[in-house]
Parts: sequence; structure tokens; C-alpha cells
Amino acid sequence: MADIKSLEHPTLKVPYEILNKKFRTAQKTLDREVSHIQQAAIELEKTLDGREVRARDISTLLGGMVEKLQVLKRKAEESISEELAASNVCKRRLEHLKEHNTLSTNGQVSQGALNQWRRTRLDRMVVEYFLRNGYYNAAITLADRSGIKDLTNIDIFLTSREVEKSLANRETTKCLMWCHDNKSKLRKLKSNMEFNIRIQEFVELIRSDRRIDAIKHARKHFPSFEEEHLATIQQVMALLAYPVTTVIGRYKALFDETRWDTLIEQFRQENYKLFQLASQSVFTVTLQAGLSALKTPQCYSDNHENRNPLCPVCRPHLNELAESLPFAHCSQSRLYCFISGLPMNENNQPMMLPNGYIYGEQALTQMARENNGQVICPKTKQVFPFKKVEKVFVM
Amino acid sequence: MEACLAVEKEVDRVFSKFGGINEHAKRVLSDLIKQIQNLKEEYQNVGDDFKLTPIQIDVLKENVAKVKETVSKLATDHRDLHSTVSKVGKAIDRNFIADFNATTREDVFASQEKINLINKVICQHFYRQGMHDVADELAKEADITPEPHEKEPFTELNHILDCLKNKDLEPALAWATAHHDSLEAQNSSLEFMLHRLKFIELLKQGALYQTEAISYARTHFRKFVRRHEKDIQTLMGMLLYIPNGISASPYGSILGTEMWMEIYELFMRDACQMLGVCVNSPLTTCINAGCIAVPALHNIKQVMMQRQVTGIWSGKDELPIEIDLGNENKYHSMFACPILRQQSTQVNPPMRLVCGHVISRDALNKLCNGNKMKCPYCPIEQAPTDARLIYF
Repeated sequence: MADIKSLEHPTLKVPYEILNKKFRTAQKTLDREVSHIQQAAIELEKTLDGREVRARDISTLLGGMVEKLQVLKRKAEESISEELAASNVCKRRLEHLKEHNTLSTNGQVSQGALNQWRRTRLDRMVVEYFLRNGYYNAAITLADRSGIKDLTNIDIFLTSREVEKSLANRETTKCLMWCHDNKSKLRKLKSNMEFNIRIQEFVELIRSDRRIDAIKHARKHFPSFEEEHLATIQQVMALLAYPVTTVIGRYKALFDETRWDTLIEQFRQENYKLFQLASQSVFTVTLQAGLSALKTPQCYSDNHENRNPLCPVCRPHLNELAESLPFAHCSQSRLYCFISGLPMNENNQPMMLPNGYIYGEQALTQMARENNGQVICPKTKQVFPFKKVEKVFVM
Repeated sequence: MEACLAVEKEVDRVFSKFGGINEHAKRVLSDLIKQIQNLKEEYQNVGDDFKLTPIQIDVLKENVAKVKETVSKLATDHRDLHSTVSKVGKAIDRNFIADFNATTREDVFASQEKINLINKVICQHFYRQGMHDVADELAKEADITPEPHEKEPFTELNHILDCLKNKDLEPALAWATAHHDSLEAQNSSLEFMLHRLKFIELLKQGALYQTEAISYARTHFRKFVRRHEKDIQTLMGMLLYIPNGISASPYGSILGTEMWMEIYELFMRDACQMLGVCVNSPLTTCINAGCIAVPALHNIKQVMMQRQVTGIWSGKDELPIEIDLGNENKYHSMFACPILRQQSTQVNPPMRLVCGHVISRDALNKLCNGNKMKCPYCPIEQAPTDARLIYF
């Protein structure tokens, strides 16, 4: 169960954040509609307090109120059902996680189902990894094939893809809209995303030599940031004095086209933070830990004889990948016979050939029986008589 | 599990509260709408110049006040649900671990080179699973050239496994029959289990098919009688209960749906064993190992933080604890020196003393006294130069 606790935080936190957002939107909608009704009520009250109260006027005002109440009713239903839908996603994922528990406590019986669950988990992790790296089509294909769309966070990544795409096309509208949508959250995170976008717009205006527009733009947008970013604003404003081809380092940097890529990267990071996603994907974290837990010095022995083709860390790509990771810790010897793969212990004593290589007693006895008392070292191909084989004691 | 349950409790509360407010809002608003609508109609039909009496005005005022109060209460009620919602978030944070920094080094896989390697590994994984579309899509988007992969024998196996998923036994049966001898040699019961499932499926179709089932049993079960006599008896016993339905009989438990899942796993395991390949792709093995390792690392990290030892973690070339991956994932012999409690390395290899005990070279050097030493395990005195370098 510990693995669920350690690895599934994002699986639940993201739908929760969505629910939370839905709640806030719903609240806003309700407040707005309610205030409309309040206004209508005040107006009606004013008319009632007037000198002459005509039935015709009242009837019109009442009609307006009915309409507004109907709007409120509709909106309330819509918003609440969206909130319920968002909680349903949470619920659905919890069910999936709980499945793992029921499987693992039933023991042997449902090993198959447990393996199936683990395969699904791998697919979920890979989908998330794909999304984070921007391999959207691969992510969608995989999610569809494994039927895990509602267990992954594809939706939020697809929204962010739109923003990333528009930024790559040097457009800011979508990103600003996103900033606006998540205003309060971003403020809490002390994000300067919007400010950076505004600066970029300003730079672009100067680049296209519309300096007057740039000043207008600055007047309109920069003051709201002056408290925190006054120094930056001053520096950026100085840009008005320089040509686009300036060679002065700090101004040249502002004109640099790669600033757009930085913006995209910043957007990604802020979006993760918004949904409380860690900066690394669960997949890479798990892969790192797994490689480390499997990594032994033998996987990197100079002469390749100790590599085991079944060992993942001995495989070419993973071997290279694990190079900089720590080795597994091992305080107790565990020995396996190279020939049979069986553990070497009191039932299968480790035996040393005259060349110093160790194999299990069972495998060597069998080999000697089939080979007229001769044993062949599978690693060096040397041949020895079985009686030259000596016992080894490993504590 | 408690973690899931704790969160679930909060989510359920959200459900009931929002369900409640939904009903409530619907009812209250419909009532209001009806009421105001009635009032409106009342004044619509009295003629244009009719002036309202003070009593009528009072009634209206009362109604307006009620509208105001109800709607604002509605908004407040909804706002009050915020605590219920945020409790879900808090329950998640309390019961699940959000922070991976404890268990990884962020920069290790950050370089483009490493990302390419990861992508290649994933690509191979999906080719192996027979999910070519995913692999191709990834290769295209990540801009890597997929390497020639081990198509065989996985193409055939994947086809059979896909059929099993769709409850089609035939390809698996054909494969098992074709490889009868090798399966027999590795003591696999796969072929029998496939026939068994086929037989059960026939029985499930009811009395109409029982003759067919019996003749199927007669043709196919005979060769398994030596190893599976008991099973065959059980299977044949099921025939007794066909008229009343097997599910209500003592044999009911045999009919469970997990049978298909089990046969899927059994086929994968035995077929892979016969072909000498791993059941799991290297990537799957790594991730499964990681799922065991990450919680263990979280725990040790917590302990280390409590004791305020932080130095051990960084720059160490070994994990701080041993991680038990079970029996499946042991690919190499590991020798840990019983004296120094350290894993042997190329510079500190295992040495066999004359008496047969094995210790590491560093330990040997430390135990030396001049050109003599005593084995730490038995009282034999010997020259350290007599110790032999050994290879596991």
C-alpha cells in the first residue's frame, strides 16, 4: 500500500484542484445572478414606495424578476452539476486505487489481476510523462488503447497545449486569458507570468517600431505591477531609447527571440504549480529509484561476462541511463549460480573451480555426471576434473 | 488503504452536500418562480390603469423581501460548502506524499541525451507489447529513430494474448498443442488449463452442449490424467449440476470471471519461460522495482531528517538502505563482505581463505598481522598470501 501513498498524490490532487476551480467559478456565477435579482428587487421596492403604483409597471417588473430567477435556477443547476462531475472524477480514481488494495490483500488468487493493475499503472505513468514532454499524440494514442483516459490528466495538458502553441506562434491572448482565469491562484503563487507577457508585448511593439503604441501599452498595463517590479519596469522602459539592433547586453537580451521559449517554459512550470504537480514526473522518479534498486557493480563490469541478459540494467539503453545513479545497497550476500540461476545456500553449496570461479554444487555435479567427471567453466571455457572443485563458505 | 478511505470519506461528503444543495436550490427556486409568476399574472389582467391598494403593496413588499432573502441565502449556502471542498484537498495532502525531491536527484534525467534514451526505452517497450501505434507516434513526436527491435517472438505472443483478452482460446490452444513437448518439459500446466477453460465454457452454455462437452473431455483430457487427475475429477463432477445451473452448485466458484485473467497471466508466464525471455519488459521491471523503492526511500529520508542527518544522501554512490525487491528481480550474485558489511567491488574483491571462508580484500589486509592472519570464523592460522581471488 505504501506505493499508493508515495506515488499517487498527483492522481488525486489534480482532479481536486479542478473541483476547487469549478467551485469558485460556480460561486462567482451564483453571486452574479443573485446580485442581478437583488437589483431587480430594489427597483421593484422603489416603485412600490412611489406615489402611484400602477399594475402595468409592477407586472413588467415582476416579469423581469421571474426571468432572472429562471436564469439563476438554470445556472445553479449547471454549475452544481459541473461540480458533481468533477467530484466524480476524484471518486473514480479513488475506486481505481482501492482496487489495488483489494487485489493485494487477496494474495495468490488474484496475482493476475494485480499484474494487470500494475500494467495499467505503468501506462498511466507513461501517459503523464508523454504529456509533460509534449508528446501529445502519443499520450492520446496510449490512453485510448489502454482505456485509461479518465485516470490521466490529459484534459488539463491539452488546454495548456493550446496556450503553448499560441505562445510559440508569438501570440499572447490565450496566455493572458489563462492568467486571467487563474488570477487568484497565480497571485497566491506570486507568479509574474502576466508581467512577463506584458513586457514581451511591449518589446514586440518596439520591434515593429510602434514606439508610441508601446508607451500607451506601458501606461495601461505596467502600473499594476509597479510595487513589485519597479526596477524591471524602469529598465524595460529604457528600451524606448535604443534601436532594435542595439549591442548593449541587457537590452539586446530583451530583443532576443528565445525569450518566447523561456515564456513557454515558465508557463509550463506555473501550470504544474497551479495543479500542484511536482516538477518531475512520477515516471522519471520511479524509473530512477527502480534503476538504482536494481543496479549492481556487475552490470558495469569491464569484461561483460557478469552481465545478465535478463537484468534490465544490463540492457544497453538502460545501462547508459543508470550510469550516474547510485548503486543498490547490499549488506548481506546473496549468491546465485550462474549456470542454473538457483540461489546458492546450504542446499546448493557454492563451489570454487581451480580458476577461482564460483558455481552451485547442483549444477556442477550434474555437469560432471554428464561429462565423465569433467566440469567446464562456462565463463572461461576451461575444463577441470570435478575432484579439483573446492567448497567455499560465505557468511 | 486508510489513505484512500480518508480521502474517499471527504469526497463522499462533497457528493452528499452538493447533491443536497442541488435539490434544495431546485425546489426553492421553482417555488419562488411560481409565486412571482402568479403575482405577475394577477396584475397583468386587472387593466392598465389599475392602481394598487396599500394592502396589495404590502403583500408585494413581503414577497420581494422573501426573494431577496432566499437567493442571498442560497449564495451563502453554496459558499459555505467551500470548507467541505477544501477538506478533500487537505485529506489528499495529509495522506499522500507530494514531494519527490527526497528520493531523486532532479538533474539526473534532465539532459536531452538522457531524455532520448528514456524515449528509446519506452519505444522498445511498446514495440514489445505489440502497441506499435504508440511507439510509432512517440518516435515521430520525440524525433528518435526507432531501432530494429526484437519483433519475434513477441508478434505471435501478442496476437495470442490479444485473442485471450477477447476470450478467444483457439490461437492459444493451437500454440500450446504445437509446443506440447517443451511445455511438458518445464512442467507447465498451461495446455491443460486451456483445455479446462474450454471445457468450462462449453458447460456454461447449458444442457444442450453437454454431449459436446463430454466428447471434448474424452478427446483432450486423457493425456493429462497423470498430472491432473484430481482436476479432471472435479471438472467431470460439474456435469452433475448442469440441469440446475452450475453457479448454484458446490462448483460455482470455478466459474468466476478471473479465470480469463489467470489464463492470460499463465500463458504469458509459461510461454515466456519456454522462449527464455522475461515476462516483463525491462521497463516494466524497472518501474515495478521503483514502486517498491520509492516508499522505502521516503521512509528513510524521513528518519534521516528527524535525526538531522542530511549529509548521507548527497553524492553517495549507493542507496542508503537495502531494498527488498522479492525473489523475482535478482539477476546478479552480490557478495557483501561479512567483516566490513560492504559490497565487494573491483578494487575490493572477494578472497577465499585457505579454510574456505570468503572475506573481502580490504578486510583481509586489516586482519593481517605481519605475514600471518587468523580466519575470523575458524581457528586456522594462515598466510594472507595464500588467499585466492574468486569470482562470483
